[in-house]
Amino acid sequence: MSYATQSRALDDELLSVIRAWHDHGTILSEAGFTDLATRSLAYQLRHNQPYARYCAGFGITAHALPESWEQIPAVPAAAYKEAVLATFDPAHAALHFQTSGTTQGIGGSHYMETAELYDAALLAGFDAFMLADGMRLSYLNLVPNPHDRPNSSLGYMMGRVSALRGDSQTGWYVRGEELLIEALVIDLRAACTDRRPVCIAGTAFALVDVLDYLALHDLQFELPSGSRIMETGGFKGRSRVVERGALYDALKRRLGVPDKAIVAEYGMTELTSQYYDMRPSTTDSSAGESIRVTSKVGPPWLRARVVDASGETVPRGTVGALVHVDLANRSSCIAIATEDLGYETDDGFVLLGREEGAALRGCSLDAEELVARSR
Amino acid sequence: MTQALKAHSLRAVPVRAIVRALSDAAARWSDADFPPRVRATDAIAARTGYSIPVVEYALDRLFFSITEEALLATIQDELGGIDLLDDFSKASRPRGYARGFDRICLISSRTTIGVALVPAVFALCAKSDVLVKDREDGLIAAFFATLTDELEQFAVSASAQQWESAHTGAHDLSGFDLVVAFGKDATLDRIREQCSPHARFIGYGSRASAGYVAIDHLDDERRARAIGDGAARDLLLYDSEGCLSLHVLFIERGGKIGPLDFAALLSESAKRATIEFPLGARSPAGTAKTGSYRNLAAFRSTAGRGAVFSDAECSHVIALDPPLDEPPPFLPRVAPVIPVDTPADALAYLRRHSLALEGFALSDERADLISMAVDAGASRITTFGQLQNPPLASKHGGRPRIAEFIQWIDWDA
Repeated sequence: MSYATQSRALDDELLSVIRAWHDHGTILSEAGFTDLATRSLAYQLRHNQPYARYCAGFGITAHALPESWEQIPAVPAAAYKEAVLATFDPAHAALHFQTSGTTQGIGGSHYMETAELYDAALLAGFDAFMLADGMRLSYLNLVPNPHDRPNSSLGYMMGRVSALRGDSQTGWYVRGEELLIEALVIDLRAACTDRRPVCIAGTAFALVDVLDYLALHDLQFELPSGSRIMETGGFKGRSRVVERGALYDALKRRLGVPDKAIVAEYGMTELTSQYYDMRPSTTDSSAGESIRVTSKVGPPWLRARVVDASGETVPRGTVGALVHVDLANRSSCIAIATEDLGYETDDGFVLLGREEGAALRGCSLDAEELVARSR
Repeated sequence: MTQALKAHSLRAVPVRAIVRALSDAAARWSDADFPPRVRATDAIAARTGYSIPVVEYALDRLFFSITEEALLATIQDELGGIDLLDDFSKASRPRGYARGFDRICLISSRTTIGVALVPAVFALCAKSDVLVKDREDGLIAAFFATLTDELEQFAVSASAQQWESAHTGAHDLSGFDLVVAFGKDATLDRIREQCSPHARFIGYGSRASAGYVAIDHLDDERRARAIGDGAARDLLLYDSEGCLSLHVLFIERGGKIGPLDFAALLSESAKRATIEFPLGARSPAGTAKTGSYRNLAAFRSTAGRGAVFSDAECSHVIALDPPLDEPPPFLPRVAPVIPVDTPADALAYLRRHSLALEGFALSDERADLISMAVDAGASRITTFGQLQNPPLASKHGGRPRIAEFIQWIDWDA
């Protein structure tokens, strides 16, 4: 079977999984996930040589495939900065997204052979977790405009969502490194006047900047019913970090949206699919005591596990690093290892993020400081 | 009797008596079964997460070094005499009196084990009243209690308070003549701002340490193995968190034992050393970053760059030939091993990453190696295996032990 035929067959199979869930809520069974994951891995071992060499180090080859999706070697996300991880010639990529390069100041590239899978995956997830009511909204995007930054996965995502789910009154409020908050305020006023519900999509630090502006100018909105906020991206690399609860409280107060209308999305440039907050939050007892948690959940073709230093899955409730298996990463690597921390819950996982100043002691040794000085 | 003591009560005590009391107290703490030490050991292990053998090693190293002989020798070397800490000395010209500052505050943040203890000991030798803002394990306070058993004047002259890292802005330093602080740059800046305008401030910021294995030691497996054993100890102790931990290792190309073989040998040494110094409790973030670093090194090796030696638990990671544009990762028990042709290559790497160096372990005393370590800004040059074992007189951060705690008074008589 030719490469093109194999690729098309996998894409068709995956698209049918996506559509079945999107249209009918049909989920992929454990066995079904492992089967599709294993065949996707076998395909990538044939066509993605850097990944195949890496897997060989774990004893995984086309002739020695894992029995479970949990045994698929996860390539470190930073490897996207080291090599072209693609099953095809990246010169023919339909989509090319670049990471921001927060770790070492060097960006990585995620190439995708077709846009079809990406679009199907992102829309299915967004519809399920952000648009369960099917409402048409004005998208006010505090993320890069894809026309200006075609390599921003977040910009692309919101561009597709705005085009396909929006009411055509889309706004973009990032120009270079600048946030166009005054323009956003004008558009928020117009939406309120027109009683037109909006979806504000932005990174946490962009939302903090907006709140600072609103506070400085003593502005407060009561956004039309149905309005919502999608927060993403955390505070990586930013000096001012606001606790998430405080951020959400301020968003509710300043923008007049209910708690349930604020949803955190969690995605990575190295992934095709996204996780979202499960709303409302639930009670979790996996760590021994019952606590209210907001779990991240994803679509059925995206699974996470929490691992220890050896890469083994840790017991539910134990904090570890997150590994993602995204079947929609057909043309790159389906398993990605991250440094993001989290723990598994009954519903999904709780994202704890990346501890930047992890407790490195020293006779005055501060690793982050030393690394920061070296940049 | 103790209640009648007043501030500066050490002034009336001869320095030799103070030194003897300090030495005697340290001798009691050198006994691993001394009850206060047993309690402190557990508290330190709980605070730092280090395994008990690592804590025991640190306490042995700390207290065995505080001897009367070593204290007097250090004072003599730095001040030129002992008794001039008591009164004007006729031996100096002009007559000099090395009078310690009245009140010294030592602030110990984000440190490993007992880092403030040695400065406190020398501040007491200078007859200053000393307040240590120490970590929550209470080591300094417990040692000070033993001091009071030896000499009652310590009851008012040596005191310790617990300092929580969250209370970064809560110091009242207005009454201190000298403030010594350990911590990150921002913390030091904050502390400095709170000092009296007339106070002297000594800050110990973030520093790292390096090692260099020269080709002369790579032609003989026995010698290379000895270097590997020493380097492994330097790497593993305090889970690489000390400023004297080995954070990056350079190895010269061209030896019979090449960089790849040496990295493998170092990994074997690390495995053996882990038996003596087991891995402590790592934070989930530390574990995640260490695993990620190892996996990325493994990925690079499959792409033809370098190699990585580790084990399933990541109890150590030896990453050979990482990209030179990457600074050392500063992760627990992780050592980047960088092959070089000459010391100039090592110096270029250190300068490229602006690494402030505390220690430099060298495999031998070749002139160009010494020169490179000096040019790199290291405060201390030593052999492998001794990086984390500085002598008492060692000038931490390139600063004297006692000379900065005193104010000279000249008498032109």
